[in-house]
Amino acid sequence: MNLRRLLRPLRSRFLFLIPIAPALLVACNKEDAQSTFGTSGPIADTQASLFIFIFWIAVVVFVLVEAALIYSIVKFRRRGDSDDSLPEQTHGNNKLEVIWTIIPVIILVVIAVPTIKIIYDQDGPPTDQGPVLEVNVRAHQWWWEIDYPGEDVVTSNEIHIPVGQWVNFTMHSDDVIHSFWVPKLAGKLDIVPGDVRQLAMKADEAGFFFGQCAEFCGEAHAKMRFRVKAEEPEEFQAWLDSMRRPPVELVSEDAIAGQTLFAANCSSCHATNTWQAPAARNERTRLAGLRTAFIGNIEDSAVIPAPNLTHFASRETLGAGLIELNSENLIKWIADPDDVKEGNRMKDLAAPYRNNSLSTNDVRQLAAYLLELKPIAADAVVAAVDLGGTAEERGEAVFAGSSGCSGCHSTGSATLVGPGLADLSSRSSDAEIHESITDPGAVIVEGFPDSVMPQIFESTLSSDELTDLIAYLKSL
Amino acid sequence: MAQAATVQEQHGHIADTNTGISNRKLLMWVFLASDCLFFGSFIATYLVYRNESLAGPYPNEVLDIPITSVSTFVLLMSSLAMVLALHYAQKDQLGLTRFWILAVAVLGAIFLGFQVFEFTTFVNEGLTIRSNLFGTTFFILTGFHGLHVLMGVLWLLGMAFAHFKGALTSRSVEDLEMAGLYWHFVDIVWIIIFTVIYLIGFSDGEGIETIEHAASIIGG
Amino acid sequence: MTTIAFPTLISRPTSYTGLWSWIGTVDHKRIGTLYGVTAFLYFLIGGIEALVIRGQLSTAENDMVSPEIFNQLFTMHGTTMVFMVVMPMSAAFFNWMVPLMIGARDVAFPRLNAFSYWAFLFGTIFLNMSFFLGGAPNAGWFGYANLTGNTYSPGDGVTFWALGLTILGVASLAASFNFIVTILNMRAPGMSLMKMPVFVWMALVTNVLLALAMPVIAVALIQLGLDRVLGTNFFNPLAGGDPVLWQHLFWLFGHPEVYILILPAMGIVSETLPVFSKKPLFGYPAIVLAGAVIGFMGWFVWSHHMFTVGLGPAANSAFTISTMLIAVPTGVKIFNWMGTVWGGKLHLNTSMMFSLGFIAMFVIGGLSGVTHASPPTDAQQQDTYYIVAHFHYVLFGGSILGLFAGGYYWWPKMTGKRLGESFGKWHFWTMLIGFNLTFGPMHWLGLNGMPRRISTYAEGMGWETSNAIATAGAMLIAVSVLIFIINVIRTISSKQEAEDDPWDGRTLEWSIPSPPPAYNFARIPQVKSLDDYWYTKHPELLHDERGEQTESPAPVEEDSHGGGSIHLPSMSYYPFVVAIGMSIGIIGFMEIRVDIPSTDLQLPWLSVVGIVVGMWGLLGWIFEPVTAEGGH
Repeated sequence: MNLRRLLRPLRSRFLFLIPIAPALLVACNKEDAQSTFGTSGPIADTQASLFIFIFWIAVVVFVLVEAALIYSIVKFRRRGDSDDSLPEQTHGNNKLEVIWTIIPVIILVVIAVPTIKIIYDQDGPPTDQGPVLEVNVRAHQWWWEIDYPGEDVVTSNEIHIPVGQWVNFTMHSDDVIHSFWVPKLAGKLDIVPGDVRQLAMKADEAGFFFGQCAEFCGEAHAKMRFRVKAEEPEEFQAWLDSMRRPPVELVSEDAIAGQTLFAANCSSCHATNTWQAPAARNERTRLAGLRTAFIGNIEDSAVIPAPNLTHFASRETLGAGLIELNSENLIKWIADPDDVKEGNRMKDLAAPYRNNSLSTNDVRQLAAYLLELKPIAADAVVAAVDLGGTAEERGEAVFAGSSGCSGCHSTGSATLVGPGLADLSSRSSDAEIHESITDPGAVIVEGFPDSVMPQIFESTLSSDELTDLIAYLKSL
Repeated sequence: MAQAATVQEQHGHIADTNTGISNRKLLMWVFLASDCLFFGSFIATYLVYRNESLAGPYPNEVLDIPITSVSTFVLLMSSLAMVLALHYAQKDQLGLTRFWILAVAVLGAIFLGFQVFEFTTFVNEGLTIRSNLFGTTFFILTGFHGLHVLMGVLWLLGMAFAHFKGALTSRSVEDLEMAGLYWHFVDIVWIIIFTVIYLIGFSDGEGIETIEHAASIIGG
Repeated sequence: MTTIAFPTLISRPTSYTGLWSWIGTVDHKRIGTLYGVTAFLYFLIGGIEALVIRGQLSTAENDMVSPEIFNQLFTMHGTTMVFMVVMPMSAAFFNWMVPLMIGARDVAFPRLNAFSYWAFLFGTIFLNMSFFLGGAPNAGWFGYANLTGNTYSPGDGVTFWALGLTILGVASLAASFNFIVTILNMRAPGMSLMKMPVFVWMALVTNVLLALAMPVIAVALIQLGLDRVLGTNFFNPLAGGDPVLWQHLFWLFGHPEVYILILPAMGIVSETLPVFSKKPLFGYPAIVLAGAVIGFMGWFVWSHHMFTVGLGPAANSAFTISTMLIAVPTGVKIFNWMGTVWGGKLHLNTSMMFSLGFIAMFVIGGLSGVTHASPPTDAQQQDTYYIVAHFHYVLFGGSILGLFAGGYYWWPKMTGKRLGESFGKWHFWTMLIGFNLTFGPMHWLGLNGMPRRISTYAEGMGWETSNAIATAGAMLIAVSVLIFIINVIRTISSKQEAEDDPWDGRTLEWSIPSPPPAYNFARIPQVKSLDDYWYTKHPELLHDERGEQTESPAPVEEDSHGGGSIHLPSMSYYPFVVAIGMSIGIIGFMEIRVDIPSTDLQLPWLSVVGIVVGMWGLLGWIFEPVTAEGGH
């Protein structure tokens, strides 16, 4: 085989095309969902411009060096196997060596100066461009908890922001290191547990931007995604308002049945009630309690912090920005979450999956319920809520509803985060129950960790609610 | 293990090297340079976590500076004994050399005794490697130092009983020089550790920094 | 010499053939061969892992392997390629070539050398056993805390990783001490530091880096291991521990490690380029100095791996400057290599092609490195495929191509046979093209927003085409490795024999027979200049414009070992025994369970067994004379 002839076209002149060719093939498609070039905000714009600036310098150096290399290979290759004469023996050239030491230094200074300016420019939101929207992000394996401080709005995995306003994300991690990244708006920043990170960005145009966790965080890392929905300011305000309105009344029978199933099987971990301000304010504490319970008993825990599902049906995606939210996908997800997002903990931990107790019909009803979870229209008249009924019934509503008790306590004997409350009246007096609600640290049931139950109920519960709640608890 | 083994390695003639330092002694220097980074990393860890414990017992509740000062003094005296051992070895006085080698080993063992006492006391007072960051970093840093002292004591005992019989040779004097290098190094490291753990001030864990840290974990 | 008799525990190996002779060997050449063969086997294993990774990522929404398996594969691929391929393959060349190039008969501590290899082997076997014992490590080769804690990585995988790498660390440390002493102390008379071949210089810098960087990762691994088995709090945020401490320790080791991986390859091409250009190395002092400066400055750039951790603008700016500075000496090397080629008479054989390929590809890796030395652009590129592309251009385009250049170059010296040239060229071109097809598109993937370490990706992200090309490229690389294996087999079974000096070499290893005799040099050479052997062949070239100052030659000493009988260190089983004991001693910590209260810890009996075996071996080692009575 005449290898030399066969390889001649490849050997030198076109060598440099090899790494570039595939990039040329796929071309620069700025429309791609996570393209770092198709930017929509000042932070990402500047980062892309800086990259392109450095890139062209690198291209010039690359072309010069590779061209010189290829030229010397072609020019100085030995011709004929018999030529054994020696070329001129040069050992070096001080002048030349100094020049090619200094030139890179100059190039690197040219790169370093704008780099350092931009590092400082991008350290926090500018102070002279209007008010900054504060958003809290808490990263979990493998989803994102979002709240708007001062607004009493909690949500998950889909972050609404107003166009044209700077947003400052204050970020915590609940478990391991994650990294918050919305390529079209800003470069990433790691979120380290036990510490806090701030990342500022602004969207210059409306859009539904893709985000993704960029730091390897375990089994479902690939599917820890999210979306940022940038809306015109008035739409954003409307969304915030809607998140504080009660849900519409359920219409379909499936949904009504689903609500019961949800309360029995899902509500230990997922909240749907943070449209009420006290529940919204309590959400972080509730999730922290679930986290403590999970850490305390990793092998057998039945609970773990889980995404807030308030007004779930008003979202567009499912499974942490993973797939479109529709009935079919939702049924698939509930039926077998592991099939959609392997590694997610719902299937491992939640009792209905462990016991295999969800029928196909249950799944359908749960999906129907969740797909009806949306706020009432802004102009709908909210009837004054007349709870009516007996003290026990009102107390049950408090227990299952906004106070969040049911997130940690079962009404049977099962232990969730806290002890099961069945037969409580035989164990405790009114005063003891009262104390355990308002000052949970006072008496701890043996075998349960200290300071898990939040010290907030004295302020979040009215005295009427407290009385009703105690009445309900005694009826168990 | 590996390092201790190599001191007995021999190859070529002692003076017959490019640097003029024998292979074995150069090996010891390189090992000590490497060991600097080992202790440096543990000491850096200790400093990073100083006053960061979220729960007690805190250093001020358990550390007994007078007692540890005594053990530090003992260790410093062992370095002096090492100097004397080498001095007599170079003067070819076998008996005194052995005596001072044993003295170094005994002083080292006394230091270890203090350390065992200290560890036991701390555990009884509720400080274990799992209690808090102080427990973790304290026991592991001083523990690894203690392990170095233990290796040194074993080495010196082995040398005193197995090696320094009969006449002193240039090779056995060099063995002692190497042990001396190692021993002085371990002493210097202890002085740094003693300064870092016992002498620089420490908080009682009630510092503002700590509370903020705790808050950032619990509620943000 | 020892003064008391220590009972002989195991009789010394005496036969120079057969399995036991390999286990007992202390010959640096045989140990080099062991390192090389082992590293190549792991190259195949790591390559198979890479192929499965590429298979999984070839299309969107693929489920060829589960995320858990995927995570194990990329963790072990990285760990394998770094610790079990590039480092030991470099060690193989150090072992083979450093003594030959400095005119020594062996390394300073032959038994320690054997110990290094066996400890390395046991560490790697232990690590890979995890695949069959409940799952391999799955937290990445970088093992970022606190994902590596018991809470988030239950199972033993990460413990295997921490303990296995600790064993490898001990092996690397022992080897590095050995080579530093060998290079500083055992050069042939007249070979001053600035007359050493560049490969030996780079070996020296690499081993200094190893000696100083390995303790740092050892400490981090000990802390991680203690967190996992004893329940300490080093990286536990719930007790106030800071996971970023791990990152600082890891990268304080990890960046010098990058140079540990690339400097040997740089040393290799600094040998091959002059030989195949028929010209001296252009600017030898500058290349040596650049290598030393890289080794020094490599300690001050680690946080550029952490630009997105949130260390603040001051830290990021400082590390930007140091990172950009380290590009300067790297550039100096590249320009000097090109100055070497310029005006030469290039023999474009396989080794030279790999060397030139090294320069061409390393330039790309270096330039892409500059683009993310800038934190604002790195914020978009960090943890994306752009970074994967970058470091594969450095570590594959650089280290692996450089190591293959060395393989083709020194094969005749090591085996007495030349590797086939026509297969070699097929090997080179398929590897170069496959490599660029695999990693070129990854630049684009990263810029197009594809994160690293994701086990799958959604359709419609614009990533399918590039990933498909990359997978095809990976298969081409596999083909090229097959061609290499066939080439090796053909060469071994062929009858042709190489000359002692087939390339008209410049350094001392070409002055002795191929393959070299056990004692290497019948007579220790006297060195008068850089490339001394070349000038003995071309004495008329010695005086030229840079004027290799001709010192008056040192008086010729009689061979220090006297006469015709050369005393070589005798074979010994003890390094093997000590390595086993140490490995078992460390592995034994797996027995301790974190759920035992710390005041009530049990002794891990396996560790005790290991320590007993190790001490027994150590005593045998100490009291066994280096050279057996009447030995040879």
